[in-house]
Amino acid sequence: MTDYVAVPRTAGPRLSNSAGWWGMVILVASEATLFGAFIGTYFYLRFRTTPWPPDGIPKPALVVPLILLACLVATTIPMSFASRAAQAGRLCATRFLIAVVLVVQAGYFAYEVHDVADQIHRVDITRNAYSSIYYTLLGADHAHVLIAVLFNLWLLMKLTHGFTTYRLNAVRAIAFYVYAVNVLTIVVFGTLLSARA
Amino acid sequence: MTTEAIPPVSRMRTERLELIWEERPGLLGWLTTVDHKRIGLLYFWTTLVLFGAGGIEALLIRTQLAQPNEHVVSPETYDQLFTMHGITMIFFFIIPMTTGAFGNYLIPLMIGARDMAFPRMNALSFWIFLASALFIYTSLFMGSAPNAGWFDYVPLASKEFNPGRNIDFYALGIIFNSISSTLTAGQFIVTILKSRAPGMSFNRMPLFCFAFLAASLGLLFALPALSADTIFLFLDRNVHTHFFDPSHGGSVLLWQHLFWIFGHPEVYILIVPAFGIATSIIPAFTQRKVVAFPLVAVAELLVVFVGFGVWAHHMYAVGMSTISMVFFAAATAMVVIPSTIQVFAWCMSFVTGTARFKTPLLFIAGFIFMFVTGGLTGIMFVAIPFDQQVTDTYFIVAHFHYIIFGAAVFPIFGGMYYWFPKVTGKLYYELPGQISFWILFVGTNLLFFPMHIVGLLGMTRRVSTYPDGLGWTAYNLAETIGGFVTLAGILLLLGNLFYSYLRAPAAGPDPWHGPTLEWTTSSPPPDYDYAVIPRVSSAYPNWDPVDRELDRRNLADGVLVLERGHEQPAVTPVDARFDEVVQMPHESPWPPILALALSLVFLMLVIGRYGVAGIMGIFCLLALAGWHSTEPQEQ
Repeated sequence: MTDYVAVPRTAGPRLSNSAGWWGMVILVASEATLFGAFIGTYFYLRFRTTPWPPDGIPKPALVVPLILLACLVATTIPMSFASRAAQAGRLCATRFLIAVVLVVQAGYFAYEVHDVADQIHRVDITRNAYSSIYYTLLGADHAHVLIAVLFNLWLLMKLTHGFTTYRLNAVRAIAFYVYAVNVLTIVVFGTLLSARA
Repeated sequence: MTTEAIPPVSRMRTERLELIWEERPGLLGWLTTVDHKRIGLLYFWTTLVLFGAGGIEALLIRTQLAQPNEHVVSPETYDQLFTMHGITMIFFFIIPMTTGAFGNYLIPLMIGARDMAFPRMNALSFWIFLASALFIYTSLFMGSAPNAGWFDYVPLASKEFNPGRNIDFYALGIIFNSISSTLTAGQFIVTILKSRAPGMSFNRMPLFCFAFLAASLGLLFALPALSADTIFLFLDRNVHTHFFDPSHGGSVLLWQHLFWIFGHPEVYILIVPAFGIATSIIPAFTQRKVVAFPLVAVAELLVVFVGFGVWAHHMYAVGMSTISMVFFAAATAMVVIPSTIQVFAWCMSFVTGTARFKTPLLFIAGFIFMFVTGGLTGIMFVAIPFDQQVTDTYFIVAHFHYIIFGAAVFPIFGGMYYWFPKVTGKLYYELPGQISFWILFVGTNLLFFPMHIVGLLGMTRRVSTYPDGLGWTAYNLAETIGGFVTLAGILLLLGNLFYSYLRAPAAGPDPWHGPTLEWTTSSPPPDYDYAVIPRVSSAYPNWDPVDRELDRRNLADGVLVLERGHEQPAVTPVDARFDEVVQMPHESPWPPILALALSLVFLMLVIGRYGVAGIMGIFCLLALAGWHSTEPQEQ
């Protein structure tokens, strides 16, 4: 048991992650479980259907999605640096790195929206169970990238007025969300591209 | 810590805390509140009204079944009644009553905190809960209430066989409600990890909090399966996807798998908080620590964990492979282990302590009886051929009502009596309390026990009536009488509490000599909960007089009072070492505004105005922007 002669505002360097960071972990855990249900559904349907994708539906494209995926996943690096810069109190570096992440994410999202619209034009979501789960998974993943874009946009706006404890916690929490979305996107694309095997 | 008989300097500090933590009075104060106690009370009153609605539905069902060939309600109305009864009791009564009402009010008090980790999000979870309840009950008044049972199997729930809006209300209502439950679950987990009083390491945390941690983890990981399922259902019905359509590569069993991956852990999510209530009441009325504290704590977590591996025992009749059924039967049998650990610990605490059978403890004794009875019939389902025989009969209805009403609602009633003095500052009248228990005990057993027999005699669930001469009539009549006896018990219970609130003498801070921290503060607790963040050196801190004396000295010395602002300490998650002082947000209008915008999204979705729903979604984003426009330290 620790005795307190007086209460310091902090106990020196932070001993553990903030409540905000833990809140983000909880959100990610919940979202990851939702994607677990989607991916489980994908394979549940796949194992009951031969061939997969069903006749008349092209296999998912490989090269462009992988390049885009690599770009998105690469945002992990500037986001990580942004988080460190924020903890070190370097405001300009933090803002710049978050802006870089934002631009890449927004570009990725815009291209993917265009691509999905193009795919739906050829094979729409109502064709069969494959197309249903394919577009649902893809749509859910893109929605999460959009949320990451909105988070970063909000963060940039907040950081125009400098750092506060609240904003520092937000940078760390949103960085965690960006990492999670990147991992999620790898898993989703891995699942969808498995139809090529 | 009471505010009576304290030195002037301490009184000055508490007055300053009162000013800092005081919330706006009146209706506006309740609308914008972020205080966990007020939110707990909002949950309590809302869920009580919904319990009344679910109860009326149950009594209509029982009246319809009291005699053969009855025509009290039409078959279509009957379908809506039993569906709404199930949905209401599970999603809109037990979960929000335990987590929302009891959890919100008590968890911060028990861990020595001044509020939840995210007070505004806590308010949001309530307003979303209320909006989702209004949303789903709107369907009842429109004559389009969900009508395919609470587990809503396809293809009955598909557009082809259910073309109205009934199932759309179900799918969207469940998703809407799940948002609230997920927020609540996340809230509890982070609050328990980060907001405990410094020194309250896990081994010093009350069992009540372990139970709520287990239930919250269960909710967090179980709800997404239901959300996925209901999203697929809504898409199948409205966008013409084919998740559940075998003619286009879908599967009707997919619904069942996803539903029960949620549905079985849900049973434990319902009853584990009740275990927490039991483990709070038993030490207070036996004046001894709960036997095998570490084992009970682990068992509370384990019962939820194992609960995730048993879902397919609800599906033995669908034609699964034998090996799958055997696996799930074995997993089902495993649930007995953590459950039995707890039952033995409760019973040994009774036997080795000095039991005072006041009303709360009577309800816990009744709970143990009902839980063991329901558990024994549950174990019978491990025998696969027996399970297949009784699937969809009243035997199943009997089993889960013993668990859900007996094991979840009885502790809720016990908890209402136990914490009534804390919440209201008044004692309750003991004799009517005990009479209400015995009426409820007799009523519920009369209501649910004969269901075992009619189930074994072949009566299937969800039939709106039955012909004469099958040997079911006397049992059904007894059940209906039991239903009305139960109603009498509930009315007596509520009447007693209401009358006690008006007339009973003051309770003082600690009428039971309870073991946990909430009994160290005044009744009802002040807005700031504790004048000084309490010192904790065991899981029964109110029984540690040295620590309580230290609290009094700390208040006089200004140590751990945190009187500079809306503040509370944050700690390390496992061993609760002091980490920092955090600024807590003040009352805010944004949670109800965001909930309102979200309600409009769901309302537009159910009537098929997707474009308007999108616009309402933008309003949600604007509300979120408003929410975050002010940071806690700026308020």
